[in-house]
Amino acid sequence: MIVNSDVKIAINNVTKVFGANSNLVVALEDFSLNIPNNKFTTIVGPSGCGKSTLLYLLGGFDKPTAGEILMDGKPIAVPGPDRGFVFQDFALFPWKTVIGNVMFGLLHNGYNKKEAKEIAMDYISLVNLNGFEHAYPHTLSGGMKQRVGIARALAYRPEVLLMDEPFGSLDAQNRKNMQRELVKVWEKLKKTVVFVTHSVIEAAYLSDIIVVMTARPGKVKGIIEANIPRPRDYIGDDYLAVRKQVLLLLEEEVQKEISQNRHGPL
Amino acid sequence: MIFPDKINSNRVGTLRVPTKLFAAVQFLFPFLVLGSLWEVLIRLGLVNATLLPAPSMLMQELYELFFRKQALQHHLYHSLYRLLLGYLLAVMVGVMMGTVLALSKVVRQMFSVTLSLLISIPTIAWIPVLLITLGLGDKTVITAIFLGGVFEITYSTVAGMRSVDRQLTNAARIMGATRWDLFFKVLLPGSLVSIMPSLRLSVGYCWRALVGGEMLSAMIKWGLGKMIYEARFWNDVKVMLVGLAAIGILGVVLDRLFLKTLEQATLEKWGMLVER
Amino acid sequence: MNYNRYLYPIIPLLGFFFCWEIAARFSLINTGLFPSPVTILNDLKELFYQEASGRSVLLTHLVVTLKRLFYAAIGGTLVGFIVGVCTGLSYRFYRFCDPIITVIMPIPGIAMAPLFIIWLGFGDVTIITAGAVAAFFPIAHNTSIGVRSIDRQLVRAAQIMGANKFSVLSQVYIPWSAVYLFTGIKLGLARCWRTVIAVEFIAAANWGLGYMIWDAAEYLNASIVYGGIILLAITFTLIEKGLINFFERATIVKWGMIRS
Repeated sequence: MIVNSDVKIAINNVTKVFGANSNLVVALEDFSLNIPNNKFTTIVGPSGCGKSTLLYLLGGFDKPTAGEILMDGKPIAVPGPDRGFVFQDFALFPWKTVIGNVMFGLLHNGYNKKEAKEIAMDYISLVNLNGFEHAYPHTLSGGMKQRVGIARALAYRPEVLLMDEPFGSLDAQNRKNMQRELVKVWEKLKKTVVFVTHSVIEAAYLSDIIVVMTARPGKVKGIIEANIPRPRDYIGDDYLAVRKQVLLLLEEEVQKEISQNRHGPL
Repeated sequence: MIFPDKINSNRVGTLRVPTKLFAAVQFLFPFLVLGSLWEVLIRLGLVNATLLPAPSMLMQELYELFFRKQALQHHLYHSLYRLLLGYLLAVMVGVMMGTVLALSKVVRQMFSVTLSLLISIPTIAWIPVLLITLGLGDKTVITAIFLGGVFEITYSTVAGMRSVDRQLTNAARIMGATRWDLFFKVLLPGSLVSIMPSLRLSVGYCWRALVGGEMLSAMIKWGLGKMIYEARFWNDVKVMLVGLAAIGILGVVLDRLFLKTLEQATLEKWGMLVER
Repeated sequence: MNYNRYLYPIIPLLGFFFCWEIAARFSLINTGLFPSPVTILNDLKELFYQEASGRSVLLTHLVVTLKRLFYAAIGGTLVGFIVGVCTGLSYRFYRFCDPIITVIMPIPGIAMAPLFIIWLGFGDVTIITAGAVAAFFPIAHNTSIGVRSIDRQLVRAAQIMGANKFSVLSQVYIPWSAVYLFTGIKLGLARCWRTVIAVEFIAAANWGLGYMIWDAAEYLNASIVYGGIILLAITFTLIEKGLINFFERATIVKWGMIRS
């Protein structure tokens, strides 16, 4: 199972609370989890369970109200280039071309323009966007934009890749394509990935480890290992078995979240 | 550095302060700070008082003008009376012309380009023309005010009426509305969404025309613009600043109090306002 | 059918000038106050060919005004942009400046002219300052809104890729505000040139379109008054449509960031 020296990120008893006075929202309560090194970990949970909040904490965009998050033993306090982030809404800089976007991280991490350009081109090839280097984001389709997002997040070689429902804005067909492409990319790079989604199909297709969260306030409900070789088959038996396992855990929490909301939003 | 999501709290320490009072104090705070700083600089002799009189001196001047000489009221009265007249004329003529343009395609095709051209001419540029044709008195100023607002109102009336949902007019027709009914009870209220903001905007334009017109018309005696302009001949910065302050405050008052209330009484009540 | 779109607008304009011309020719109107359009054009032409210090009088007036407009616009834009960014970034600063801006913004530039005349005298400096002040407000206001409306994801993306505070400011906030800045510049430029003309009425020494028109009015030279106004309208429309559209196309259109 998971041994201590293989833990990349340790999330210890993290609580995150939003709001003030009478409008308190407890997103995470006493949440603990170890993210293993060099594995693809996915976090699934019902809406509002705090999975995106957790990812933002890992990114350093916010600080926990209580508890600590350690990467390689050191606390995560601010956003930094040891991590990469892929956003659901792409967050590409509209005033920069594709290659401009991908080069951004490199230029801010000590590479000169020439080096940055070469490396950026490599990553653009990796995500199959050759020929589009000089295009502006607004001319690209959703799937292409996200590929830029992924290339951009990987280019400066962060140790961990954080992905916040990256394919949520895409249609079903594109989504499947992107999942396949992501697996190919991951096979080449084998980084530590923390992937957040509410799609069980996606989770089972992509991950080594699947963490199921409870409804708000979020805690770990269960962890499932998916030791299936890649690329996986959407209709393969082993894949479907994993899916079923996850669904069973998840369904209960989804029902809880629905009934929570029936009594009015928190 | 990122702009925070402000939860509107009214707790000052442990006191609970009523929202309106808190907002008013927040609004006045910068003025109080700057005013005090200004006063101190003058007292210390670091700033020349003839060029930039202290707030205390301005208060004195205000007292003089308002209570002793009673001049400020006269100036205010004349300015506001001209504004009102010009503005009302602009509204009436503007809405009428706008209606005609909205209802007749042919007329609209002929005059919409002319209208756009007219809007683009700055009101101030009309004034020399008015001065040589209408003279140097009240008429010129009021006409200038009228011109300041009328084109804008016409334009937005056309836009507003044309945007009234066809279904509303059809529904009214089926229910037996006459042409007058249709105009007053459907088209006019329906186009208010477009006309209202432009009414607010036009007060600003008319106000600008008022001040400009008063400053340039040599034969008038009273008016805020005139007051400021005349003060130059006496090198009287105090009067100028009082005048400017009056213009600034009146501008805010006119917009917030008068027209916002109007907007609330009609559009907001009818649920037609999209919060900007 | 579509000929109508181009034909119809011309009819009233041509008709108007035609009737005016006829009325003037047949002395149906006071030609002192309403000179015929042809006379206006002729007088303008004369002024164009008239020379002073070796240059065309009409062109000199135009150039002087444009020069003032240019300096006022640059000054107002720079200061407005900086103040706008500062109020956008710092909530405290915004809360402090906003009431002041709200009260001073609606005051017409021409109203401040006598004050500037006392402080700065007649001539270029006063005119440019008044114009700059007029341009400043919409630009500061719009830039402020732009900075405050930033898409936070872009800021986060830059931060996690290793950008420091200064980089985030210069490489994210500022390009993002470009859209809003352009709206502000359009409004500011319009206010600027109206103020420049208006202040030229009362504060110009010898040159400038505003001065030309005002001087003509004082001497009851109606042709030049009308001619000047037409020239004003044409010049400014050209500036707005030409220059600003050019800059917009090179930036926000290219980036796909227009707000209609």
